Amino acid sequence: MKLFKKTDILIIAAIIVSAMAIWYLYSNTVSGRPVRAEIYYWSDLVEAVELVPGQEMTFSIPQDEDVVFHVDKDGSIRFIQSDCPDKVCIRTGRIHLAGQSAACLPNGIVVKIVPTDGWKEGDPDIVIGSSGEQ
Amino acid sequence: MIKILKDHKCGRKVMKRRKHAALLISAVFMAGLFFSLSGCGDARPVRYEATFLRLFDTRTTIIAYTNDKDEFARHSQLIYDSLEEYHKLYDIYNSYEGLNNLKTVNDYAGKAPVKVDRRIIDLLSYARQWHEKTGGKINVAYGAVLRIWHDYRERGMEEPETAGLPPVEELERASEHTDINKVIIDEEASTVYLADPEMSLDVGAIAKGYAVEQVSRIAVENGFISGLISVGGNVRAIGSRSNTGKPWNIGIQNPDPGEGSSELYILDITDASVVTSGIYERYYTVDGKNYHHIIDPDTLYPSEDYKSVSIVCKDSGMADALSTAVFNMSLEEGMEFIESMPETEAFWVLSNGEYRYSSRFRDFIKR
Repeated sequence: MKLFKKTDILIIAAIIVSAMAIWYLYSNTVSGRPVRAEIYYWSDLVEAVELVPGQEMTFSIPQDEDVVFHVDKDGSIRFIQSDCPDKVCIRTGRIHLAGQSAACLPNGIVVKIVPTDGWKEGDPDIVIGSSGEQ
Repeated sequence: MIKILKDHKCGRKVMKRRKHAALLISAVFMAGLFFSLSGCGDARPVRYEATFLRLFDTRTTIIAYTNDKDEFARHSQLIYDSLEEYHKLYDIYNSYEGLNNLKTVNDYAGKAPVKVDRRIIDLLSYARQWHEKTGGKINVAYGAVLRIWHDYRERGMEEPETAGLPPVEELERASEHTDINKVIIDEEASTVYLADPEMSLDVGAIAKGYAVEQVSRIAVENGFISGLISVGGNVRAIGSRSNTGKPWNIGIQNPDPGEGSSELYILDITDASVVTSGIYERYYTVDGKNYHHIIDPDTLYPSEDYKSVSIVCKDSGMADALSTAVFNMSLEEGMEFIESMPETEAFWVLSNGEYRYSSRFRDFIKR
C-alpha cells in the first residue's frame, strides 16, 4: 500500500504553494496593521479604500478623472497619473503605513493612510522625508 | 468597486461622517483649505488632524489630541492664521496689497530701502547668524543663482525632452551678486536694502522652519501644549503625545522609495523638531540624470554626496538651516559641525545608500 496517493501529493504541493504566496504577500506588507487609504479632494473625504494585500485596482475619483491611483497587490497605494506640472505626487511612490501620505497640491488631492481600527500608541503620527511632504 | 468602510469603534460610516465633519470645518475656515477630522467623540482626548495646501507652496499638517473638535479648530485656526502671515511676509514670488514682503525688497534692489515688518528683520538677522556659523553654506542672498536653477528646473519639468543645464558662465556671473553683506538691515528704521541691484533674497532654506518655530511659540502661549505642526516636512513637536508624557512618533521615509521599505525609522520626539532635506524633493532630469534643488554655494551645482540629511534639535528654524547646510558639507565637515552643537543630532543617507549617524542620533530611534 502506498503511503501517499498522487492526489495527496498534489494537494500538499498546492497547500505549500498557497502558504508561500500568502507569506510572500504578508512579508511584502511591512505593516501588519490593517489600514485604509483616505482620499481627500480639497475639503472633502471622497473615497476610502481598504488596503488589503492581494487586491489590485486602478481608479480615479469623479472629482478629477485626470488623476489616477493604483492599489497594488502588496497592499500599497500610489498616484500613477496626474495632469499636474511637477508630478511630485507620482514621485512620492507607494505608501502603505499609517501616518504616511501623498499629495498632489495643484489638484488639491491628498491620500492619507490611516489605521482601520483607530490610532494606537505605536503608530507613526506623521512620516516625513517623502516628496509629498516637500 | 470601492467599499465604503465602517469605523468599528464609532460604528458608523466613516466616509459619511468625515465628509460631514470636513464640510462643517470648511465653513469655519476660508475656502480652499483642506481639513479632515478623525475621532469618535468619547471622553478621552481624540486625535484630530488638519491639512492645508495653500501655505509656503507646500503641505501644512497640524495634529493634536484634544477633548473636542472646537478646541482643535480654535488652535488650528490660530496656527493657520499665524503661518499665513509669515507666508505672505516671506513670499518672494507674489505681492499682497498693502504689504511689503520679501518680493518688495527684491523688487527694490539697488533702488531704495524698504520698510518691512519686524518679522522680516528677525528672519534676515537669524539667517545672517547661520551664514556665519555655517561658513556661508546658508546664504539667503543667493537668490540670483537659485533663480536660474529654478527657471531651468521649471522648464525642464514642463518639457522634459528639451530639459537642459544652466551654463556655468551664467551661474558664475550670478554668483557675483550674492554677497550677504550687501543686505543692509536698519533695525531702528525697520528697513531692508539690497545694495546690489542684481541681487535677490531667497529664504527657502530657512523660512519654513523659522516660521514653524515662531508659530509654535504663539500656539503654546495660547494653550496649545501638545501637538505637531508640520510645514513641508519641517516638523515641530510641541510637548508630548496627547500630553501623556510619552513621545511623538515621527517617521523618516526612505529617500529612495524604489528600494526596500519606504519607512526608515520611527523617532521618539518630545518637544523638539525634525527636518529632512533630500534629493527626492524638487528635481528634474537631464540626459537621464536627476538634478535636485539643493545648490552648493561652492560648486554652484546640486550636491551629490547624499540622498538625504535629517536633523533633530529643539528649534525648528535651526533644524531647517542645518539640514540644508549639512547637505552641502562633506560628511567629515558636517559630522564635526553637528557634534560641536549641544542637543543636535543628524542622520545621513549617503548617495551609495549607506547610513551615517551623529553620536547620539540612535537614542531617538524607536524602531
